[in-house]
Amino acid sequence: MLAVAGVLDVEDTEYLRSFLENRRAAFLDAGRMELDLSAAPGIDTVPAVLLFEYMGSLRRAGVRTVMTNAPELVATLFRTFERNESRAGAGRGMHGLRHHFEDLGEAVYGFARTTVGLWFFFTSTMYALFDMVLHPRRIRWQMVLYYMEQTGVHAIPIVATLPWLLGTVLGYQAGYQMSAYGAEIYMPALLAYSITWEIGPMLCAVLVAGRSGSAFAAEIGTMQVRREVDALRVMGFDTFSYLVTPKLIALFFVMPFLVLLANTAGVLGGLLAGGIFLDMPASIYIRGLSEALIPFDILWGMIKAIVYAAIIANVGSYMGMQVRGGPADVGRATTSAVVTSIFFVIFADALMSLLFIHLRPGIQL
Amino acid sequence: MTGAGGPILRVEGLSGGWEGEQILRDVSLDVRRGEVLVVAGRSGCGKSTLMGYLIGLAEPWSGRVVFDGRSIWESPEVLKASRLRWGVTFQSGAMLANLSLLENVILPIREYTCLSEREMELAAYSKLELVGLSDFADSSPMEVSGGMQKRAGLARAMALDPEVLFFDEPSAGLDPVTSAQLDALILSINRSLGTTVVIVTHELASIYAISDRVVMLDTEVRGIIAEGTAAGLRDTSTDPRVLAFFRRETGADAERGG
Repeated sequence: MLAVAGVLDVEDTEYLRSFLENRRAAFLDAGRMELDLSAAPGIDTVPAVLLFEYMGSLRRAGVRTVMTNAPELVATLFRTFERNESRAGAGRGMHGLRHHFEDLGEAVYGFARTTVGLWFFFTSTMYALFDMVLHPRRIRWQMVLYYMEQTGVHAIPIVATLPWLLGTVLGYQAGYQMSAYGAEIYMPALLAYSITWEIGPMLCAVLVAGRSGSAFAAEIGTMQVRREVDALRVMGFDTFSYLVTPKLIALFFVMPFLVLLANTAGVLGGLLAGGIFLDMPASIYIRGLSEALIPFDILWGMIKAIVYAAIIANVGSYMGMQVRGGPADVGRATTSAVVTSIFFVIFADALMSLLFIHLRPGIQL
Repeated sequence: MTGAGGPILRVEGLSGGWEGEQILRDVSLDVRRGEVLVVAGRSGCGKSTLMGYLIGLAEPWSGRVVFDGRSIWESPEVLKASRLRWGVTFQSGAMLANLSLLENVILPIREYTCLSEREMELAAYSKLELVGLSDFADSSPMEVSGGMQKRAGLARAMALDPEVLFFDEPSAGLDPVTSAQLDALILSINRSLGTTVVIVTHELASIYAISDRVVMLDTEVRGIIAEGTAAGLRDTSTDPRVLAFFRRETGADAERGG
């Protein structure tokens, strides 16, 4: 026999639990448990759940349980629990192996869907761009200039600093290794090739993807959440020419010059390393550079930049457009914009490197 | 939930506002146990600001908010203990979008109690059933209608059986039928569980349907200009601002008529 007097509320929960557990053995011995609520005007939901589950566990152990003199409210609450008993704690959580296979399948399907979706998005953007080339008056120059400032001018400090640091480190380490064979004279050539062929454009793409690709996704994603994209659509705007192509055109203009800047900064970093660590006069370093590099090397970096710009602007905008739910979706879109951009940038880089060794004069295969 | 009539919440000489602009000046107000109190007034009169102070979102510039005999800003412990005893539903529902409706309702239960996962779900299901949403427990807030989001918000506010329920514009953006259903739900909670209800709204239909008492705020006075039952204010008030509100007259008509 268990009698409740007064209102049981949330703050009594912890006490109630230990009280009930202490009496479990006694009820199991007696084979019977009676809950008398004649002196209880009401029970809050949380302690009521505790009582309900306790009586359920006793019943399963063979104890006969009865509730007497329950006020209508409490009886209703207990009936609600009975109706929902089968749903609670079922169907959620881990399913072991099957769960993992489902996750794997979903991930593979998700990647395939993103790739196909991106391809369609890319063709639509290119179509919109082609349309703009035919009708240049449709280009929103004000927005293009705004994005050029955001993605280009504001990126100058970081795009100048990081490749310069990397050039310094690379120049010092390469020079140190090469000096063991008396070959430090070739350090400028090594640096010139690695910076202009690979590191300059790649580092620049990673920085722009992190700075601007993420910003594009967050901007368009937030507009999706606030239904601004739908508003543009019903006002008759072509969302591609309003949201996507200005960003794309801005990156087309800006990225080749960012790559040029990154290349210059990287090579200057090498000059510094040569001067400080290898006692290499600047004139020797510069002669080394000019003997190694041909204009095609610089031009190739800028061509790469245009391909990277197309990838970053498209992936960033696409991920933003995919946002459907709430704020958490914007976060996910921003993350996947950066990760997916960098993935496709490296993929494109691998393909273009194959092309490069066939196109560049002076490389013997 | 014991006794009726005495004040459960008192506002004493409260002043406050946003970013240096004073919106409320020396407001005093009693919320009685077990009543449905409506805070009414035109847009921009400080209803939501007052609500913010009542639920302890901001500390007033001066004056006190007293819940069950203690000023809620007395100490962080008092504020937290008070929050445990009231529930708030926001204008938009304010459901966390990355959680299902069920998980939203479980949130306060998980924070404040020591129930097992199954017990928490059972408690949350009973709350969702109360608002008629137990079949949508696994839906995301983005997948259900605005009215359902508000009902789910009510289920979450009810999770710990609060003594006072606050509603910010419950009927905003709802069709008349859904709005009336929500009113009926609020009323049935008040009548069956004895929960005190404070509603901020400017919907006349709601005010007439569910209020026991109305206090009316005004922009220029920056405080309360009238207090009484809805019908009483409509029929016996001589204040042109009150009449304009309850008879849906434009300001010009009110000036000419009263």
